[in-house]
Amino acid sequence: MFGKLRWSAIPFDQPIPLITSVVLILVILGVLGLVTAKGWWPYLWREWITTVDHKRIGIMYCLLGSVMLVRGFADAIMMRTQQAVAINAPGYLPVEHYNQIFSAHGTIMIFFAAMPLVIGFMNFVTPLQLGVRDVAFPTLNSVSFWLTASGALLVNVSLFVGEFARTGWLPYPPLSEATYSPGVGVDYYLWAVQISGIGTLMTGINFVTTVLKMRCPGMSYFRMPMFCWTALASSLLIVAVFPILTATLAMLSLDRYFGFHFFTNTAGGNPMMFMNLIWAWGHPEVYILVLPAFGIFSEVFSTFSGKPLFGYRSMVAATLFICIVAMMTWLHHFFTMGSGPAVNTAFGISTSIIAVGTGVKIYNWIFTMYGGRVRFSVPMLWSLGFIFTFVIGGMTGVLLAVPPADFLVHNSMFLVAHFHNVIVGGVVFALFAGLDYWFPKAFGFRLHEGWGKAAFWFAFFGFWITFTPLYILGMQGMTRRLQHVNVEEWRPMLDLSLLGVGVLVVGVICQVIMLVVSIIKRDELRDMTGDPWDGRSLEWATPSPPPFFNFAVMPNVEGEEAYWGIKLRAIETQQLSPEPTYTPIEMPVNSPVGFYTAFFATVTGFALIWQIWWLAGLGLAAAFVGFVVFAWRDVHEFHVPVDEVASVDRARRAAREALMERIAQQGVLP
Amino acid sequence: MSETGLPATVETLRRVREDPHRLGHRSHGSEGPVEGAGHGETGPASKRIIVGYGFWIFLLSDIVMFSCFFAAYAVMQGATAGGPRAHDIVEIPRVALQTGALLLSSYTCGLSFAATNARSRLWTQVFLLITGLLGLAFVAMELQEFISLAAQGITPQRSGFLSAFFGLVGLHGLHVTVAGLWLATMMAQVQVKGFRPETVHRLICFNLFWHALDIVWIAIFTIVYLIGGIS
Amino acid sequence: MSHFETDPHLFGGELDHREDHAPGDAPEESAGHWVLNSNLGLIFSLILTVAAFLAARSHLIYGPAVPDALLVLGVAQMGVHLVFFLHVTTGPDNTNNVLALAFGILVVFLIVVGSIWIMANMNQNMMPMDQLMRMQP
Repeated sequence: MFGKLRWSAIPFDQPIPLITSVVLILVILGVLGLVTAKGWWPYLWREWITTVDHKRIGIMYCLLGSVMLVRGFADAIMMRTQQAVAINAPGYLPVEHYNQIFSAHGTIMIFFAAMPLVIGFMNFVTPLQLGVRDVAFPTLNSVSFWLTASGALLVNVSLFVGEFARTGWLPYPPLSEATYSPGVGVDYYLWAVQISGIGTLMTGINFVTTVLKMRCPGMSYFRMPMFCWTALASSLLIVAVFPILTATLAMLSLDRYFGFHFFTNTAGGNPMMFMNLIWAWGHPEVYILVLPAFGIFSEVFSTFSGKPLFGYRSMVAATLFICIVAMMTWLHHFFTMGSGPAVNTAFGISTSIIAVGTGVKIYNWIFTMYGGRVRFSVPMLWSLGFIFTFVIGGMTGVLLAVPPADFLVHNSMFLVAHFHNVIVGGVVFALFAGLDYWFPKAFGFRLHEGWGKAAFWFAFFGFWITFTPLYILGMQGMTRRLQHVNVEEWRPMLDLSLLGVGVLVVGVICQVIMLVVSIIKRDELRDMTGDPWDGRSLEWATPSPPPFFNFAVMPNVEGEEAYWGIKLRAIETQQLSPEPTYTPIEMPVNSPVGFYTAFFATVTGFALIWQIWWLAGLGLAAAFVGFVVFAWRDVHEFHVPVDEVASVDRARRAAREALMERIAQQGVLP
Repeated sequence: MSETGLPATVETLRRVREDPHRLGHRSHGSEGPVEGAGHGETGPASKRIIVGYGFWIFLLSDIVMFSCFFAAYAVMQGATAGGPRAHDIVEIPRVALQTGALLLSSYTCGLSFAATNARSRLWTQVFLLITGLLGLAFVAMELQEFISLAAQGITPQRSGFLSAFFGLVGLHGLHVTVAGLWLATMMAQVQVKGFRPETVHRLICFNLFWHALDIVWIAIFTIVYLIGGIS
Repeated sequence: MSHFETDPHLFGGELDHREDHAPGDAPEESAGHWVLNSNLGLIFSLILTVAAFLAARSHLIYGPAVPDALLVLGVAQMGVHLVFFLHVTTGPDNTNNVLALAFGILVVFLIVVGSIWIMANMNQNMMPMDQLMRMQP
């Protein structure tokens, strides 16, 4: 009846996961109770859960990503603490638990923290920058989000029911095969990642179509803001490589569930084929994350330097170059696996070459600042911290791209330090920069500057204090994923690294305080004009927060940096463009299909993990019914009446006119 | 930061006024339309194009998934672990029948779309039905092949090669089955709702999917059955 | 979204010839054109399929060249499908479709050829798995 599910699946004998789960469940029940008591359910259902608005979906993605970022960070704190106390001692985490923690840390950070945050920004920003009202497939967008949330939920359920994988964030066979990992840990990994991976694939399809087919009039390719280009490149990579992940995990599932021999070490199976395929996805995956991050930095550098992005076309070329070459470097993750010199050399060279594209970008950002009037606001601090951190991370990467050097530090703490150096320094810094940069657009008020700066400095130094020791430990021969250490000489560096984590914790606390303080002081920090940073792209032409239809009249773009041109003309002529003729707008109706799909995806995933076959069949049947019901609906769109459109846009124009008057009165222009 | 909240704008305007011909600075953007800007600068495409293009992108991702199974098959061709090789399990007559069925179904699928364009509900339904029946015949023959192989003890659990074989061919069969389910839903929809724009968009997508499955089958019967069948 | 069509000032009458087409779609064609295309596609495909089965089963072709011949015939038939069934053309309205297709072919090429090359190289350089297993205590 319940497959492999027994009462013993709940870890009554292990205090750490048990207490964590109980606290988590209490918190969740508390939140649900509060929502019920306040009667917020109808509002939540109507405005958020069933929404197909790209901005709201983007915000929900970011919320999910932030929660999971904290969860993954908690894992990181436990790991660093364990290694610092387990020198010639057992430490406080049993081996099985420690192995689950480092596996969960990697899985959560990549799939459920970084990906949702990056996709959240793509969702919120891209349609606004392209001057359109939504993405190509709004309802599909909602399905994507809820499938990602479903995967995240399954990972967290593993904490309380059963166990998580002990195989690392990529379940290398033969360890992950049923013979050596008979528990449900790997199955949790497989189905959580599989479900969220399908969501990500659909996001990729959605955004390729959006950028290529849905741009406002006049928005030719070479007038698109840099972030849109990077979103396009990242989405192309998603479409190209996420099917590889799906296929590879499907093969591993066939091995585990039906005794196939794709990756076993018996009967002709080939474990190395798994490494080959998974990294054909895994390497482009880091560029999927980092390309939109580059886009965020491009926007920030140009806005806060008051200059157009230097070398825009070379930036586009570098982005597309990275997009293509990213798919030709995957073998550098397994140089030591036994390929001959020809293969290793070819992939070593391609890996070194991809750094050229990034180098072009770094110089372009530096030259964007050159000669500009740089404002050191919080997004700019993160961006400057990024250049410093990422250049060093990139250089250690080029070092690892040399096969003989890689043989020495492969799978060592040096590698751990390297990829945190590029992912934290590249992606996470970008997400925090983007948070400060676009928060006023999303919520109508700025974030507190002082706490934001404090958060940056603690995170920046915390990062370096944590990971510099790991580089040194790697060079001294410490391998990754050690549950305990028996080399006394490593103690100072491990202690220093733990201290760094402490500083990082202070940084995270500063971020939280920044959010709380900003919400309390939101009236002081209110953005009245919709253009708080003196921006250059079309999202700043809308009020903050933008109406759900984004633009009352679709903008007509006449040059690069669309909004900048409009703004200059308006201030110079001292008047806005004449009021347009407003027409009713058609917008897609809300739909519960995303939530419905994700609910049954979770049920089916859980059933497959515990091999409750009838429940899995029921879930799939329900999914099909949902598909048919959705296909049968008659109303797809609703009209926004002219009056509403006009009143929203007239308020926006009034705010802009007030701003222009302020400029004229102050006489700042000669 | 100046009081206006737009320091960079004010600064730029000041520079432009002090240096109206921009002798000291290059203009930041060309004024006229950009050459070679490609399509789409006339505003968002119509729903029909967006849906078709989005599905085209999905198909590419699906083909990439197949390519992984093809890669696995290519790599594991020799990993028979003492079990049967490709030419031991290939039966050319059945493959020829399967190929014929799928090719004909692709043809009738194309005809159904011609009927859709002529807004003929009857002929659309007739050709869709034939397409579905041919697809069903294809799946039935594949099932019969798998069952007869299993009866001889030739199962995916036997060797790496057989895992790759059953994985690749079975994945295609699964796709055809799901497409058949979709087809049945589409036929019901055309019958009940007629040719609404969104129904036609879905028919475009279904056509693309069905033809793409035939293209994948070309690769399968060429590589797995014909080349594999050469002893 | 169709709501863009309600922004009438955006759309002059001259847009149509500049607009793209979705793959597998050519709205202005008559049904007869579609039937003709399907007929041509079926005839070419039948010829190529029969040729492939003949090449594999008979000895019309020099033995070692048969796999290459089959691959060529397979690729040709895929081309026939793309042109006659999926209506992919070289016209400017199809640029995006063809570019996406080219991107997909590149990815497929990288995965298949890359995997074969890497794994063949590894098999050559490493001890086969069964021998490795026998060495374990």
